[in-house]
Amino acid sequence: MEIRPILSSLMRNKTGPILVALQVALSLAILANALHIVGERRAAAARPSGIDDEQAVFAIDVNHLRSDGPEQELATQNREIATLRAVPGVVSVANVGQLPMSNSGWNTSVAIERKQTRESAVASTYTVADSLVQTWGLRLAEGRDFAPGEFIDVPMGSRETPRAVIVARALAAKLWPGQPAVGKTLYIGMGEEAMAIPVVGVIERLQDHSARIDERGEFSIIVPTREYGANGGAIYTMRAAPGQRERVIRDAEAALRNASPGPVILKIRTVDELRKKRYRADMALSWTLVVVSVLLLLITAGGIVGMASLWVNQRRKQIGVRRALGAKKSDIVRYFILENVLITSAGVFGGVLLGVGLNQLLVSRLEMARLPLGYLALGALVFWVLGIVAAYGPAWRAAGISPALATRSA
Amino acid sequence: MFAYYFKLGVRSLRRNPVLTVLMVLTLAVGVAASVSTLAILHMMSGDPIPQKSTRLLAPVFDTRPAENFDPAGERPDEQLTYIDAGNLLKSGQGVRRTAMYGTAVVIEPPEKSLQPFWVEGMAPTRDFFAMFDVPFLHGQAWSEADDTRGADVVVLSREIAEKLYGDANPIGRQVRLLDAPFTVVGVIDKWAPQPRFYSLQSGNKFGVSEDLFIPFATAIRHKTSLNGGISCSARTDPGFEGILRSECTWLQFWFELESSADRADLQTWLDNYAAEQRKLGRLKRSTPNALYDVPEWLVQMNVVGKDNKLSAWLAFGFLALCLVNTIGLLLAKFSVRASEVGIRRALGASRKDIFRQFLTESAVIGLAGGVLGLLLAFGALALLSMQSRAIAAVARMDLSMLAVTFVLSVLAALLAGLLPTWRACQVTPAIQLKSQ
Repeated sequence: MEIRPILSSLMRNKTGPILVALQVALSLAILANALHIVGERRAAAARPSGIDDEQAVFAIDVNHLRSDGPEQELATQNREIATLRAVPGVVSVANVGQLPMSNSGWNTSVAIERKQTRESAVASTYTVADSLVQTWGLRLAEGRDFAPGEFIDVPMGSRETPRAVIVARALAAKLWPGQPAVGKTLYIGMGEEAMAIPVVGVIERLQDHSARIDERGEFSIIVPTREYGANGGAIYTMRAAPGQRERVIRDAEAALRNASPGPVILKIRTVDELRKKRYRADMALSWTLVVVSVLLLLITAGGIVGMASLWVNQRRKQIGVRRALGAKKSDIVRYFILENVLITSAGVFGGVLLGVGLNQLLVSRLEMARLPLGYLALGALVFWVLGIVAAYGPAWRAAGISPALATRSA
Repeated sequence: MFAYYFKLGVRSLRRNPVLTVLMVLTLAVGVAASVSTLAILHMMSGDPIPQKSTRLLAPVFDTRPAENFDPAGERPDEQLTYIDAGNLLKSGQGVRRTAMYGTAVVIEPPEKSLQPFWVEGMAPTRDFFAMFDVPFLHGQAWSEADDTRGADVVVLSREIAEKLYGDANPIGRQVRLLDAPFTVVGVIDKWAPQPRFYSLQSGNKFGVSEDLFIPFATAIRHKTSLNGGISCSARTDPGFEGILRSECTWLQFWFELESSADRADLQTWLDNYAAEQRKLGRLKRSTPNALYDVPEWLVQMNVVGKDNKLSAWLAFGFLALCLVNTIGLLLAKFSVRASEVGIRRALGASRKDIFRQFLTESAVIGLAGGVLGLLLAFGALALLSMQSRAIAAVARMDLSMLAVTFVLSVLAALLAGLLPTWRACQVTPAIQLKSQ
């Protein structure tokens, strides 16, 4: 292993190696950070919402253009639910106030004691008139679903305390760490006017309506209350039998239009669409970063191949002399590969420092997450392999130089 | 001499096509990535209403209760209560003022063949149109009288007017919304300031503007529901009336001043108003009352997304990589011409002449890279537009960005060419001539 001759020849002609090492360093720094961000965004977009088999679930927003008063609206809603239940292929229907990942819904301050002055958390509040646990296939970790007697219909604006509440597990852990939540009292609001509600169940997971990225993305509660009378429309979320979603959507729409005496506007939202729309920007960023990463690798590889070819040309005479003195082809190849590994290692070392520096900048200015060292290690490995593969071609060509031709002057 | 060097530069591009293609492509890709992300940032942080952006001011109060007060941790509430909006409207401060909130209504088209459909709208007071320089295609804003009594009048956008009435002038025609017949009094021309600074608290920050405008008083009279965010931090009475009486914040407000010098007076008035309200038992917190002009408002509302900044930074890092790569390629290109340089120098050219010649050649590559980079940048912008409608509204190049593309490309090429050019100048003529 002739490291010293390689090093001394590199020292004598520093420009080329420095340029390659610099390219490797820059690429590694950018690649590690870019891939980290891609990983994060993809992970965020893959988070389960809590709804089981999202393919089968959708929602219909119904708006009637004429209103005959609050009581009529309530009766209409109940009729519509019955109509929807009768559609063949419908497994379950629920009249709900908001949908997860929809960027549209209600946040409420919650507390665990009446005398608190600061809220314990902010929870996304799902109001429902039927069983969300059944329609969305939510998994109960503790306790039970609502009993039929616990559902109440409340005229718009009048505050009636809900009779029960189901809490998501992440929120329960935050409010009552280490204790079972069932049986505890949740307060909506604080002080004298807070509403005290007994917790009857804890579900494994239900994302909030904004699907926030941090831990608060699963702070949700479900209350068995339906507010009516504002003519604001109703949302019916439904589960179709597997594979029948499209047909059930068409039939449900038709059934609602037929059953409605006056003009009605319907809007269908499937959970798939909600998910795609919510994460559209994140996925677009991931793709952009993936494209940039591929281009980075191509350009760096091109740079290494180019430089290696150039040196081979410049050192034809030396190679010829070595071969004439008895070096084997494999010796020449090994020499060049080793030289390349040395340069790449210098580049990798610089790249790790640059990568950590770039990440610091992103963390402080753009609130990105810290880079785990694994990405840098993986990047280093990628560039070592890339360097060897890129240098192999020129190294092989160097070995193929005939000593007789090379040692001939000019 | 420069014209000669320029011609030499163009000729030398042809001499080694592979190397040329690599160089131009590398530079073009780097420039395209940087310019496309920069263009998006540029459009996002542009001034949407430069002719009066320092004369339009948005007030912000803190009407939340004294408990749960964390001065360091909380974002201020940028919307107003109905009570405050009403008082500010009556104040007479500034040349004009407007209060508004976003609504979504169902239009029942006069043509029975068209199904009713949702549109996003705004419910501002009359001064909105004059304050934000909204251009009218037909008609004009509703009258003062209509504004005060909340008449059933509506101003439509050009697209919706065409959808409902085709090419005909719809002024005076009726359209049914909110379960009542409304009279069309105006149709606005294409108007989409980027960002949608007047109402950043609700709806998109970029993209299309509203399709429909009804008077603020009319929307309140019809109890039209809000299409935006509402924040209630204390108990509210039931119904829409309860919200009007409460400390819930859901409205946006703007003042227009004669000149930006009047701002101090408005601030004083605002502070006095807040002090009066405090005596009445409202505004329990001691947060200072703020006024923001349009540029400050855009910063306050975090209009430029972090992801866009991230893309721009990484793109410039990518450009740096392309630059280093180009240095290597230029070194390779210039090193084979050592004999040519030797002859020139032997014939009397100074080092400076060689320097100028090769730097001009680098600039030629920069120009070629700029042309290709521009084409690639258009492609990149088209791809980035697929992200969302908001990005599609800002992913475009204006003249300044076109100029930036070429300047960036030539500068990058010149920078990359410095080292190889310096190397070329160091060639000793004697050695070169000897080995012929």
